[in-house]
Formats: sequence, structure tokens, C-alpha cells
Amino acid sequence: MANVDVAGPSRHARPQGAWAPVTRVTRRFLTWDRPLVWLLPVVLVLLFIGVYPLAYNLYNSFREYNVVDFPRRYDWVGLDNWRKLFTDGRVRGALGTTAVYVGAALVIEFVLGLAIAVLLNSGPKLAGLWQSLLILPIVVPPTVVGVMFTVLENAEYGVISWLTYELGLLDKSEPLLGGTGRYAKVAVLLPDIWQWTPFFVLILLAGLKALPEEPLEAAQVDGASAWQRFVHITLPMLRPMLAVAVLFRLVDLLKVFDYIFVMTQGGPGRATEVLSLYTYSRTFQEIQWGYGSTLGLAILVVAIVLANVYIRVFRVEWD
Amino acid sequence: MATRGGVIQTAWGPVARSRGRRWRGAGTALRTIASALIALVFFAPILWWVTAAFKPSQEILKAPPSLTWEPTLNWFRVVLGNQDPTSFNVEQSGGVGRGSGGGTFYSIPYLRDSLIVGLGSTLLVLALTAPAAYALSRFRMRRRQDLVFWVLSQRMLPPIVVAFPLYTMYRQLNWVDTYHGLILVHAAINIPLATLLLMSFFNEVPRELDEAAMLDGLSRFGAFWRVVLQYTRGGLAATAILTFVFSWNEFLLSLVLTEVDIRTVPVASSTFTTAFFVEWGYLAALGTASIVPIFVFILFVQRHLVRGLTLGAVK
Amino acid sequence: MRETTDQRDKLAITRAIEAHRRGAISRRTMLKILGAAGVGLASYPRRGAAARQATPAAVAIEQPQEVTQFLTDVGGQFRGSTIRVVSEETPPSRAIINLKQQLFEEITGITVEWEVIPLAQVLSRVSQDAASGTGTNDIYYLDQAWVGRFINDTLDPRELLQSKPDLAFPNYNFDDFLPQLVRHIASYGDKVIGPPCDVPVFMHFYRRDLYEQLGLQPATTLQQYMDNAKAINDEFAVAQGTYGTVGQMQSGHYALNCEMTAWLWGHGGSIFTADQQCALGDAQAIAGIDYLRQLQQYMPSAVTTYDWGGQATAIQQGQGGQVITWGEDLPGWDDPASSRVSGLMEPAPLPAPVALRPPEQCGFEETPEIGHQGGSTYSLSRYSENQDPAWVFLQWATSSNTQTLASVIGGGASPMRQSTFDDPRVAAMATVGAGTTRHFPAMLEVITSRMGTEPHLPQWPNIATDIIAVELGKLTTGGYNNSTQEFAQAVTGMVNEAASG
Repeated sequence: MANVDVAGPSRHARPQGAWAPVTRVTRRFLTWDRPLVWLLPVVLVLLFIGVYPLAYNLYNSFREYNVVDFPRRYDWVGLDNWRKLFTDGRVRGALGTTAVYVGAALVIEFVLGLAIAVLLNSGPKLAGLWQSLLILPIVVPPTVVGVMFTVLENAEYGVISWLTYELGLLDKSEPLLGGTGRYAKVAVLLPDIWQWTPFFVLILLAGLKALPEEPLEAAQVDGASAWQRFVHITLPMLRPMLAVAVLFRLVDLLKVFDYIFVMTQGGPGRATEVLSLYTYSRTFQEIQWGYGSTLGLAILVVAIVLANVYIRVFRVEWD
Repeated sequence: MATRGGVIQTAWGPVARSRGRRWRGAGTALRTIASALIALVFFAPILWWVTAAFKPSQEILKAPPSLTWEPTLNWFRVVLGNQDPTSFNVEQSGGVGRGSGGGTFYSIPYLRDSLIVGLGSTLLVLALTAPAAYALSRFRMRRRQDLVFWVLSQRMLPPIVVAFPLYTMYRQLNWVDTYHGLILVHAAINIPLATLLLMSFFNEVPRELDEAAMLDGLSRFGAFWRVVLQYTRGGLAATAILTFVFSWNEFLLSLVLTEVDIRTVPVASSTFTTAFFVEWGYLAALGTASIVPIFVFILFVQRHLVRGLTLGAVK
Repeated sequence: MRETTDQRDKLAITRAIEAHRRGAISRRTMLKILGAAGVGLASYPRRGAAARQATPAAVAIEQPQEVTQFLTDVGGQFRGSTIRVVSEETPPSRAIINLKQQLFEEITGITVEWEVIPLAQVLSRVSQDAASGTGTNDIYYLDQAWVGRFINDTLDPRELLQSKPDLAFPNYNFDDFLPQLVRHIASYGDKVIGPPCDVPVFMHFYRRDLYEQLGLQPATTLQQYMDNAKAINDEFAVAQGTYGTVGQMQSGHYALNCEMTAWLWGHGGSIFTADQQCALGDAQAIAGIDYLRQLQQYMPSAVTTYDWGGQATAIQQGQGGQVITWGEDLPGWDDPASSRVSGLMEPAPLPAPVALRPPEQCGFEETPEIGHQGGSTYSLSRYSENQDPAWVFLQWATSSNTQTLASVIGGGASPMRQSTFDDPRVAAMATVGAGTTRHFPAMLEVITSRMGTEPHLPQWPNIATDIIAVELGKLTTGGYNNSTQEFAQAVTGMVNEAASG
């Protein structure tokens, strides 16, 4: 694939009237051949919305609000919040819980999503209808999904719990939600899988539709089996879509909050306390804004590291 | 990569033309049944939720779910029709009772607010990110990888710690409780996904097409507008759906950045859970009502998704 | 309520509603009588955000002439100003939101922007205002658990009554608020944080039908309460899914702390000693927590994820034979439209405690008793830039007539004032139905003589939720090797550390 070198004066006409009354200098500068012109609006919006919150949280992470004393004040605490991050047992616990949650959700949603997308793309009748029904879970607000699953998993009147009893999987003394909380992690994973598997389906389906068919046809002519065609041709060609989908689920899952907040409050004990729930607890319940900001930034750091690792390991390149 | 065919390609499984008719029929039936079953599993909780909106309170919390009941439209009358719920209470319960907050359950304004913010931010996101994604896909630039990562990283800070400072900033600007304020924030949280997705889709379009178009006398913008976008309608549709959905569902920032003039559906839903009881009927009715516009939006946009690139290729 | 015509109308109204409820007259006839008595079902002009509220029906939305006069003359001085209130979604708040346009805003010309958000968000809004010293909001809804924390960020209503005689509401009568509520919900040290506005308080309810069937009597002792729970559980748990009792035992939720304190206090324990040390490790506390754990055997397994809402719903679904919990739940259980136990849950006096530690032996103004209260106040921000109009509104919202209306149209929400308990409009609602007030006499009894109050140190919200509710949540789900001793030892250290820090 040849790169089009677009540096230098354009040979092509610019759209009519786009930059009509401009001086010579700016005209040469602001042409459609400059990437800046295409990128500037997005960069400005992101800077506008993004910079202040980041700076504020950084600043906050070096101080702590004092809830007790009057008059009100912030105490300057230097690096205490950052040091605390490494000695705080709750951080370690939450990190572990987050890892389990994110890992399980990603793997299950990826595999299910890919399988379903391929199935829907293989030409069943009424594909559009199934597809629309499947996409529906993502349109329910996550806070409402949390409430829905709290009911569906209720040990006494929940339909999902009832099914687990009928199928002989669980019994009322140790239900999905409640009891000693043995299945609490599963209970809070279910809504995520239900809601976000369709996300993979949607993106992968769009990707599958966009695939050129020649390589597949060629491979078929060469006698490749369906499985071989899938593994050696379809999957590699889907990689850019898969990369984006997985990366975004990863980033979003690291912030997962709503279901757990609604369904278990991180309990029993701290069994389902993930990083963002801990951040919430410090920020909104304990009013430790400094440490809350530090935890929020820690999530950012974890996300940056993991995303980088992911990009390196899977050699994702954006071109 | 050159041109694209006009037939929906099956990447997996038998290619229709090459197999016998009977086998194809059986395979299609099997795939149809499997698709239907899976769709049903994912749809079941929503079906349960939608039927709850037509059930009297006593029938809602039951397992196994009741399959026959006397349908009621009372929840919808309040949520969509602004009927005073106390009138039902006096009729049915003989007392004014719960739900006498009345009009707070009336949800047309919430749906309207959500729709304005959702559509506004979706349009804004597409207008902003399509050119950006095109530039990232086509132009040679230094540190492109870093730039892309920076855009992506804008989604990594949890809203819990973003909400505070944004609120402070918006107070200064007098943007709290305004449509444009919320639209801009929702756009900002969706820019990363939209940029990366569209970039991936644009990457799939061969550069030769742009070149050919420009040799034909189109400007670079023209090539982008008339050629590349046409080829990526499916991608645009998927991006639009996701952007709209993320905006429609967003809770914490909408909660913090609005006060009394604007109230989106997720924020309103949260007030249906009072200190003591969850108002299931109203919640289910609002949930059902809020699925409808978004479902219509998806159906509308999905047309492009299903046909994917084939349209562009034919053209 | 000094005008007799007023009172006569009110009686006509209540009788009409009552007659309709008994089925003696049709809805149409009732509405006709209401109309004659001046009750408007008519809607009033709506605009802006207020258009989202509708008129509550069937209760006379009106106030004494002198109040209208006051609002016109005094409130009218602030015409055009806007005040902001943040509160949780609670029945009385919702009722006042519905009343304010007709009875306050249209008369005074003051706009009241009332924002309803989850309680945790209220806490963060108040904290933000306090931290920055800005009056973004003028009036806060403050939970009693926060009283120690925000006592200095608010203005004492008694002082305001003194210092702003020009703005004094006619017959506001601060002494009409039940003194127990003022002391326990609204005071810290010798200061008052604001007029009390809501008081959910633990009451004893039992299923009349099941008790009759088994020949049980409402418990007068905690032992008997346990025995009753066991008897019901043995008979009905497997057979029909009705357990002995239900709990609000969600780990990490403040509700679990509330659940625990009732039994802790009922066994002579307390959270703090007089020298402000954690007392959760002493024999009385262990006995109280063990009692809760024993009671848990007679609850559905789902209780470990129930907060108070989950518990209230469970009772509504017929899952519990008896319970000691928030009195404000009863109107929901009595609502035949949504409840399976309408008219079956009966209030009874709280059982006697095994022992009771006197408040002098506890720390941070803690008062042990089984009747745990979770009240709140409306408080005027010290940072408010609209203090005068906000104060006028605050007085109106907590005045006798407004509070009475709120109790009636708010679905049996708890009264704050003696005059509300005595009001005929309130008494008229004391029958089985959605907005019942039939538990009010028993509630008044609890408030005046059986009410328990948590310690109110500024760190209390963290201790209650992030330490006690979490660690106890571990114990009640099989953690700490099922040893109350081990739990008590661990939690005592944590609480002491938090309280001193």
C-alpha cells in the first residue's frame, strides 16, 4: 500500500469557499493538505474538557481535605497520598478484584461476541432482526441494568435465581446474590456480560461486513477449510476492529462501577470492591478528596500501562 | 485490496454458491435457529422489563414470572401522559399514598432532554472525529502513535474524579444545567472511541481510491467526503450507534452537571428509587419508553450497517 | 387552624375520603364533596422546570390566611430572587416540592430551585460548599449522621428567629417540634443545625394473620421476639417463603450499621464509652451482635444484599413474619396496589431491652435504645448569599401547616411537630391504605420514650459505613471465622483509630 505524500503545495482544488477571504500566508497554512486542519477541532475539545480535570486531580493528590476542623481547610500532605497507595491493603484487594473482573469479562465477552458476530454474518434468515434484538442490552442505562439484575438475581423472586434452582445449579441457602456471597463476583459479572457482549457483536459485525471477499474466495478455491479460512484470513483482517473493541472494553472495564455499586456496594466485606468503587467510597463517602484523586489517577496510570502493554504485545499499529 | 464484491460475504461457514441446495437450506435453518436462540437470551431480560411496565405492582416481582395478568396502562399514563398518580391511588388503594410526588414521574421532558443531548453529541462527535480519523489514517505525520494514544487516554480517567473539577469549571462558565455544556462533555467522552473506530474503518479503504478520486479532480476534502465516507457507511453507523448509546446511558456526569432545568433519563431513573421503595412500575414504563426511540434510531442507522460497504462498492 | 370554617372544611374532606375508602360513596361523589370544600383538583399554571410537578389530589392544598399575608408582605420583598435547595428523594421532600409552587412561589415571587439527588451526592455537594465557603446552595437536607460534621457550616434556626424578627413566620413556634427530635436529630453540643424535617424511626411490626394462626403474642422481650421469629420460620419458611423476620444487612451499606445498633443497644451495649473509646468489644456488645446473628438464621438468605429498600420490598412481598425497622415503611406495606400484606402488618410497642446503657456512659451524644432513628434536618447554609429569602422559605417549609400537608400527601411520612400529630387531617388518614398514618401513635411513643441515637462525632459517617458496615458484613457472611469475638477485636481497633484521627 503506497503512502500518499501530501506534504507540500496541493495539486488539487480545495473545496469552494471554505477559506475564501484569507491572506496569502494563512491560505498556504490552512489547507486541507495540512493534518492540523483536520485534527484541530478534536484536539481543542479534548484539551478544553480534559486538561483542567487532570490538573485539578494532580494538584489535589498532594493535599487532603480536612472534614473535621473548622474553619475548613485543606492540608498540604506532599507525597503522603501517593505513598499510601502502596501500603493501603484496600488498594491491593481492589486491584486483585478488578483484575479478576476485567479479565473474566473481557475473555467471555470477546469470545461470545466474536462467535455471535460470525454466526449473524453467516447468513441466517432475519439477520437484521436478531441483530437489533441483540444490540438492545447496550441501550439500557447501566444504573438501571444494576437495578434490573438485582431483581432478576434476587434469591426469593428473581427469575435468574429461580432458573438456577430449577436447573439444579444453586439452592436458596447459597444463592447467586446473598447468602455468604460465594457467587457475588459472578452475580456482578452477569450484567456486564449481558450488556457489553453486544458491543463486540456490533463492532465486529461492522468489521465483517467491511471485509473484502476476494481473499476468502481465493482461499476456498485453494481448498482451505472453513476453520482455516476463519483463522488465517478472517481473523487477521478483523484485527484492527478487534484491537479497538478490546482496547475500549479494557479501558471502560477498569472504571467499572454501576453494577457493583447498585448490587453489592462492594460486599460482602470487600469481596467485590473494584478500584473505581474504592475511589468512589473515598471521594463521596469518606470525603477524602485528595486520596480520591490519587486513586482516580492510579486508575489512569493502570489504564495507560495496560493499554500500552496490550498495544505492544498485540502489535497494534494505527496505520 | 482492490474492489469489493456486491454479495454479503460469509467469512465463516459455507459460501452459498458452492454448496448443494439442500445442505445450504439445512445450514441456514440451523444458523437461523441458533441466532434466534441467542437473540432471545439477550432479549429476555428486556422482555421481562417491558412486560413489567404493563403489570400491576403485585405481579412484577415474581419468579417464575406470571404469564397471564390483567394488563394495566397506569404506569404509562403517568410516565407519558402526565396523569396524576394520586388519582389511581385514591381509586385503587383508597388513599393518596406513595407516588404522590406525582409529576416527577412524568418523563416526556426527561426523554426529550436525553434525545437532545444524545443526538447533539452524536452529530458533534461525527463532525469532529471523521475528519480527525481521516487525517490519522491518511497523512504521514510524526508521533502519530502518540497522538492516537493521547486521544485514547482521554477516556481513562474515571468520571468519579472528573465530575468535581468539571462542575467547578462549568460553574465559572455558567454552563451548568445547559444543553451545550452537557453535549460538549458527552462528545468529549465519546471522541476517543469514535476516532479510533473510524480510523480503523478508514484504514480499510484502499488509499488508491483517494488518489484516483483526486486525480479525477476532487480535492482532498472531496475525496474524503465523496469517496471515503461513502465506503465506510457501516462503520459510521456503528460509531453513531455507540456514541448515541454512550451518551444516552451516561449517568454520573449528567447528574453532576445538571440541576433543575435538564434531567436525562438515567438521572431521572435514579430518583425513581426512593429511600424506601423502588417504583418498579414507573421505572419499567420509563425504561420501555426510553428503549423505543433508541431502537428506532438503531433500526434507522442499521440499514447502513447491514449493507455495509457493498453500497459504496456498487457506486 | 384557628379558623373554624377552615377546620370544618377539613373535616368534611377527611370524612369524604374516609367514606369513599369504606365504599360508602363513589369516587365521583367524594370529588364533588371535595370540590364544595374548596379542594382544587384543578391544575395551576405551569412553567419551566415546575411543569414536571402535578397537583396532588384530594387533600386541601391551602394555608391559613395569616401565612399567605406574611408570604405576600414579607416574602414579597424578595420577589425575583432564587434560592437553591439540595435534598434526597424522601416522601416529605417530595411533598414539599409539590406544595411550594402554589403555596410559596406564586405568593412570594421567590423561585425555589429544588434539586433531588442521591444522598451521597447531597453529602458531596454540602462538603464542596463547605470546603470552598461558597453558597452555591442555600438550604441542605442533612442526615443526622452528619450533624457533628456540619454544625459549623450552618446557621442555628433559634438564633435566626431571634436575630431576624422582621422575618419571623406567624406562629412558627419552634417549641412545637418534638423536643426529642430537636435534641437527637438536630443538635450537636448546644447548637441546633436546622429544623428537623424527617424522622424514620425503628418500630416493631408483626403479621397479624400469622400471629393469629400460631397463637403468638407481639413480643414484649427480646427473647420472646426471637422465639416468635423461630416459630414463624419453622412453620412458614419452607411452606410459603415467609421467614421469621427480614433484615437490612447489606454489607458495606449504612443500613447494616442501623440494623446492628438496635440489638447492640437493646443488650446494654454502645458504640462508644464515656471516655470516647470504642465499646464494641465488651460483653454487652458481643451479646447484641450474637443476637443479630442468631436472628439471621430466621431470615431469607438474600438479606445479606438487602439495604432498607430491599428489606421493605421483601416484607411487602410477604417474606417476613415480623420486623423491627423504619416506621416509614408501613404506608408502603399497606398499599393494596403494590403490597401482598396490606392491612396485615400491625404496629406494636418495641420489646423491652435486656439492659440499657445510660447516655452519660456513652460518648459523642450517643443514646442507646432499640428505636434507632435516622432523621434529617433542613439547614440554612452559613455561606448562603440569599439568607433572608432562604430563611423565609425554610420557615414556611417546616411550619406546622406545611408539615401537616407533607405528612398527609407524602404518604404517611413522619411528622416533626406535636401539632401535626394532633391534626385532624392526619388522624383521618389512620386507616389501612397507601398513605396510612395509623402507626403515628405508636411512632410518637417511640420518639418520646424509646428512641435511640447514634454517636455524632464528625468522623461518624466513615465509621458507620466504611468500618462497621463492611466488617460486620464480613462476619455475617461467614468471615472472621464466624467469631463475633474476632470481629469485635478487629473492629474496635479500627474504630478507635478512625475516631482519634
